[in-house]
Amino acid sequence: MLEIKNLHFRYSKQLPEVLCGIDLTLEKGEIGILLGKNGAGKSTLFKTILGIERPSSGSVELNSVLLNSVSPAQRAKYIAYVPQNVTFGDLSVFDTVMTGRISYFGVKAGKEDYDAVRAALDEMGLSGFADRSADRLSGGEKQKVAIARAIVGNPRLIIFDEPTGNLDLANERLLIEEAEKLAKTYGISILCSLHDLNEAAELGDKFFFMKDGAIRYAGGKELFTEDVIEDIYGVRVRVNHIGNQILITGGTSK
Amino acid sequence: MRKKRCAVFWTLGLSVVFMSFLCLFVGSSHMSIKDCFLALLGKGTDASIRIIRNIRIPRVLAALIAGAGLSAAGLVMQTTLNNAMASPSTLGVSNAAVFGANLSIIAFSGGFLSTGNNLSSYTVGINPYATGIIAFAFSVLSVLLILGMCRLRSFSPGAVVLAGIAVGSVWTAATTVLQFYATDVGLSAAVIWSFGDLGRATYETDLIMFLAVAAALSVFSLMAWKYNALLSGESTAISLGVSVSSLRFVSLLLASLVTAVCVSFLGIIGFVGIICPHITKKLLGQDHRVSLPASALTGSLLLLCADTLSRSLGNGSALPVGAITSLLGAPFFLAIIFGKRGNINA
Repeated sequence: MLEIKNLHFRYSKQLPEVLCGIDLTLEKGEIGILLGKNGAGKSTLFKTILGIERPSSGSVELNSVLLNSVSPAQRAKYIAYVPQNVTFGDLSVFDTVMTGRISYFGVKAGKEDYDAVRAALDEMGLSGFADRSADRLSGGEKQKVAIARAIVGNPRLIIFDEPTGNLDLANERLLIEEAEKLAKTYGISILCSLHDLNEAAELGDKFFFMKDGAIRYAGGKELFTEDVIEDIYGVRVRVNHIGNQILITGGTSK
Repeated sequence: MRKKRCAVFWTLGLSVVFMSFLCLFVGSSHMSIKDCFLALLGKGTDASIRIIRNIRIPRVLAALIAGAGLSAAGLVMQTTLNNAMASPSTLGVSNAAVFGANLSIIAFSGGFLSTGNNLSSYTVGINPYATGIIAFAFSVLSVLLILGMCRLRSFSPGAVVLAGIAVGSVWTAATTVLQFYATDVGLSAAVIWSFGDLGRATYETDLIMFLAVAAALSVFSLMAWKYNALLSGESTAISLGVSVSSLRFVSLLLASLVTAVCVSFLGIIGFVGIICPHITKKLLGQDHRVSLPASALTGSLLLLCADTLSRSLGNGSALPVGAITSLLGAPFFLAIIFGKRGNINA
């Protein structure tokens, strides 16, 4: 379980806070979606969870382990990251996925690391691509490689930063299905930022609407109302709840 | 891919061996190949044995060691700073070494104008390594100064490169001031020092360079997977468990120290640290487990070729090998950049 308590962050003492007391809880196997305008603090929140930025105060715990105080290698065993713009350098797919095991082997990969990479490639249907250059794959295939690299270290939490931003519709569907499988089949918690509200409503179990560095609304699909969306995005939309589905259409800015 | 790697390694290895021998057979004394072989076996004339043992072998060893060190240092600099134009001298090491050497030659050996402008007032230091040692001391000082400052910015690549340019220009300006007050003799001695020249190598300097290069290469090799992770970007590398600022600090420090040792003993040998890593990446990709040793071999090979050429063209006195590496390297480099598949990656 991911538990973030009263997390604050600012880039320097002279600058205003970018994160102002974030509280967030995500259960095992749950998919949490971060929503909000650009600059709301979503990426900064990810950076503090991943240890890229050090919070001014507050705590990040995963399965009762306080992540603020563990080494980067230790943290990497708990949390994996799938960035929006995936670049790998001129490495093969196999070697790229192997970098997801660095926190385990450090200097030289062993048999269990090779086995884990083969299993992750199988899982993502990438076995036939193992020797290909990862940077020369299509956008969707690159995302699959990034997910394979994320799952190869058996993390408890995977952070997806705008994962569908550069994908076509088919690959978008594929990625959503994959994320659901990771959460429901393997019990991995997922924290994901998305801009497409329809996509978010379809994928998420829990939603966190962010504005000005704080979580304004947290809860389930009932949060998708015209007033909430207008408060967060400054845009009036139409929200239709059709059974378990939500359809958000139209929009005029204030 | 594995076959291609094997073929490239074999070709590089055999070329280095071949060029090492060729380098032994070329020189201003015009010894025949047979004389050289006999001298290698200790059976030639005293003069030929002395030439081979005291001049050519240390020179070949210097090319092998310095080429490997500078090239591997360049590769590591490019990866850790995510900058295709980063080189072993990015932290201003060469500028600092030149200042140190100028200080030693002009100030401590009586090369100032006040001491007169003739050879008789120009005293040569008692320790033949004095200039190299002072050059090294200033290089290390420069590296520590820059890394100390960059620590405040968590070794962000932009800060490191800009600090290197700024501090490097301070050393260059200070060198200009020194040279302004130098005698003709002092000035020419200082300028000649800055030309990269493998002829200065001795077994002692080769040993010191070897120890520095071997230590750095060993540490770089241990961190090969971390460099591979860094190819995906800094944030991703951190998320994969790599302590990027520590990796940068150690890599920049070792790369700069290797450069400082080579420059202090041999003078400035430019371009090896830029061109060789790019050639290697083009041939074998960016997996550092492969590109690091291959880059070292390519560096040795380029320096051996350049030195052989410099001694063949010099008509009795070798041309500066630093000039040859740039003359050879620059057109080749341009061909890579503007060639068919000329996307240059860090």
